[in-house]
Amino acid sequence: MTWSYFFVQAANGAVIGVIYALIAVGVTLIFSILKIVNFAHGDLYMLGGYCAYFVIELLGLPPLAAMVVAMAALFLGAVILERLMLTPLYSDATERKDEYGLIVTFGLAYFLRNSAVIAFGPFPLKPPSFIPGVTRIGSLTLTNDRLVAAGLGILLILGLLYFMQRTIWGQALDAVSQSRDSAAIVGINPRRFNSLAFGIGAALAASAGALIAPTYSLAPDMGVAANIHAYVIVILGGMGSTLGSIIAGLMLGEAETLFTAFFPDPTRALAYQNAFGVLMLMVFLVIRPQGLFGRRHLRME
Amino acid sequence: MKGIHLGILLAASALALYFVDELSSYWMHVAIIAMYYGILAASWTLLAGYVGLFSLSHMAFASIGAYTSQLLIKWYGIPIPISMAAGILMCCAVGGLIGWVCLRMSGPYLAIFTLGFSEIVRIAIATEDQVTAGMAGLHTDPLFPDAATRLPYFYTAFALLAVSLVLMGLLVRSRWGLFLRAIREDEQAAAASGVAVARFRILAFAIASGFAGLAGGFYAHYIPIITPSMGDLDEMAKLVVMTVIGGMERLPTAVGGAFFVEFLLEKLRDLGDSGGDIHLQVPVLGFGIELHNFDQWRLPIFGVILLLTMRFARNGLITPFWLLFMRLGETRAGARPAVTDLPQKDSGT
Amino acid sequence: MSAELVRGEGIVKRFGGIVANDAVDFAVTEGDLIGLIGPNGSGKTTLINVLTGHLMPNGGEVLVRGKRVSGRPPHIYAAAGVARTFQLTQLFGRMTVLENMLVPGLTRPHSSWQEAARRARGYLEFLNLAHLERLQARKLSGGQQKLLELGRCLMLEPKVLFLDEPFAGVHPRLRDELIGRIQELHREGRTFVVVDHDMESILRISRRLVVMARGAKIADGEPAAVRTDQTVLAAYAGL
Repeated sequence: MTWSYFFVQAANGAVIGVIYALIAVGVTLIFSILKIVNFAHGDLYMLGGYCAYFVIELLGLPPLAAMVVAMAALFLGAVILERLMLTPLYSDATERKDEYGLIVTFGLAYFLRNSAVIAFGPFPLKPPSFIPGVTRIGSLTLTNDRLVAAGLGILLILGLLYFMQRTIWGQALDAVSQSRDSAAIVGINPRRFNSLAFGIGAALAASAGALIAPTYSLAPDMGVAANIHAYVIVILGGMGSTLGSIIAGLMLGEAETLFTAFFPDPTRALAYQNAFGVLMLMVFLVIRPQGLFGRRHLRME
Repeated sequence: MKGIHLGILLAASALALYFVDELSSYWMHVAIIAMYYGILAASWTLLAGYVGLFSLSHMAFASIGAYTSQLLIKWYGIPIPISMAAGILMCCAVGGLIGWVCLRMSGPYLAIFTLGFSEIVRIAIATEDQVTAGMAGLHTDPLFPDAATRLPYFYTAFALLAVSLVLMGLLVRSRWGLFLRAIREDEQAAAASGVAVARFRILAFAIASGFAGLAGGFYAHYIPIITPSMGDLDEMAKLVVMTVIGGMERLPTAVGGAFFVEFLLEKLRDLGDSGGDIHLQVPVLGFGIELHNFDQWRLPIFGVILLLTMRFARNGLITPFWLLFMRLGETRAGARPAVTDLPQKDSGT
Repeated sequence: MSAELVRGEGIVKRFGGIVANDAVDFAVTEGDLIGLIGPNGSGKTTLINVLTGHLMPNGGEVLVRGKRVSGRPPHIYAAAGVARTFQLTQLFGRMTVLENMLVPGLTRPHSSWQEAARRARGYLEFLNLAHLERLQARKLSGGQQKLLELGRCLMLEPKVLFLDEPFAGVHPRLRDELIGRIQELHREGRTFVVVDHDMESILRISRRLVVMARGAKIADGEPAAVRTDQTVLAAYAGL
């Protein structure tokens, strides 16, 4: 175990952390506005990655443009989905709304996952690099793709934060997340913002998929692990707290990578890597369900 | 449920049992698997539909039941019924424990927690392959090693399903069933009405998980080899799809959903020509649509059916038929409730 | 000497930085009909929640018939004869009116379906809801739902009934009906603690008035005396 090994792993962990944070921020946003946990979020991430891949392959666009296209496509798709499937969440006639959101997003995930296997094939696909090659910093070697993923990821997160805090639309979103009724009274149309929130969340997930695809490849079931990571982070950070998601995402990325890198039994390490996050999740749900930054007594309706 | 309904069901069962050996071996297998899912769907509905606890760990308990049963036979050579019983007890205990841990969780939190538990179980079984043979699969002892056909398995599955439904049905119609439903309607009001909410939530988990363990145990000694994927998220998703499409608020509709989806899944496998392709001619517009490997699209199609069901027929597709069935034997004026006429789950719509 | 049914000693309840109940002493004696009033935010509902087991106090004790029950779950209180209604009616919406009554009825030890159904129908008759027994509870009108909630309490054969804002948003005619029922039940020996803002109704029925303001109990006694109490007037005036 050398220091350079540690630093490389730590750097990789940071990169993964940024991606996790990007995914989790989307889940948190959707939860804050629509009051449901999006069980299909990981599959939107998967779809975003594949979308970018096909845009590169079929339309010949460079990877960065492909990512933007993927984000736009997923945004649009998400808005359509929200209009089609999620409007019952806003009518008083619907009972057990959190169960509805759960089952619908669960069903959506099931549909997307199984369609992806058929449409894209079960074998991993690797899109071309954003910037091929590696960069050396001191004695560390990092792939450029990882640097791009982390860099763009951070930019996107900062962009979202700016949007939420400095623009009118973002502030309106914040208002709706705190109280739908009050927002409606003030003249904000909550319905429009639900679509917006769902769309933005999906776009963020798509970007995460597109960013990390050159590093880890695409597979139809990559959404499953992403889903679980999303829940772990969102609960660790606190449901409804954007800042919490970011911090928890970074922490989980680091912790997971370092855990795997230094676990004494390498054959078991990878297998238990996923279990690590899940175990943390379960522990937190029991001892501190509001996570690090969440609000207490958060009820769905 | 009145006498006439029981009578019809018994007659239907008798007919099914009588004509079963007309079935080909393949379709008998499908029927057996459908009944396996039937037990799982009913017990999951007990938890999610009646008590409102949306657990995603149900299939994990099936795998716990299966592996416990087989491993006990492998290590101690006990007879299958005893090992299956041990598997059930194990599931009851672990299920109760999970129920206790989840006491203060509801809705999505409970779903996520049980999802996490399910993953941990799967990963543990897959990784500790010294014990469980991991992903390669554990060879199992069959219930009927000398059977020439699947027939004895069919009868066993049928019996297990019937017994499970009777037991669960009795629970649902008892005062405890009333308490469980009250917990789903309003936990706080239930507590204020004297219902020991914590106790019943734990009990519900223990009982439902026990039935899952029963199904898993049977499965383990029916098919020749079990793998950790019997309890993975895909299986759980399939169970949710089955139960919701059928109707997750009643035991019969849940079982109906399991049968419906399982049979349709198999039937759709045969659709199209031998290459699995479908050629459709659109009239008027005069062009054809070609779908390749249509049988693969069975699963996504059921995903869509689930979404449509939730959106437009949230009670489930089979529920209207079941309610119609229940109306048989009702007099025109509607009977005036006698003192002995106890409330049913179906009363008041 | 009448029995003391429920006693709260030095009840303290905090939510974050807010002290909802500040060392409140509250005793309910058999035969009481107590009106619990106070400006909004004075901690009345919190106190009810603590005294019926729905909230655990940060300090102090709750005793039901002399036995310490603080910290135990609400169904223990219900079993000990402490019943309550909720500010916003909380019924078992998709269960029928009769089933709503049977739930508390069947939690009582040694109860049978026959006997519980008989008692339920009796109370439904008393509340004028008997003809609706097969209707889903959520399909009742607002007033009928309040009556059903009262009926649900009665099925516990409670010694004490805590009613949280039973007159809120209620039609005057129904309100009179409710008052009539409460008084009739009181004559039959039930004890009541009624929280409400409807001063007229409270004064009509209460034998004893307890006033809370900003988490503390500021008056406790005969209505006539309490009404002229300076601190009470100040509390309401400072609203």
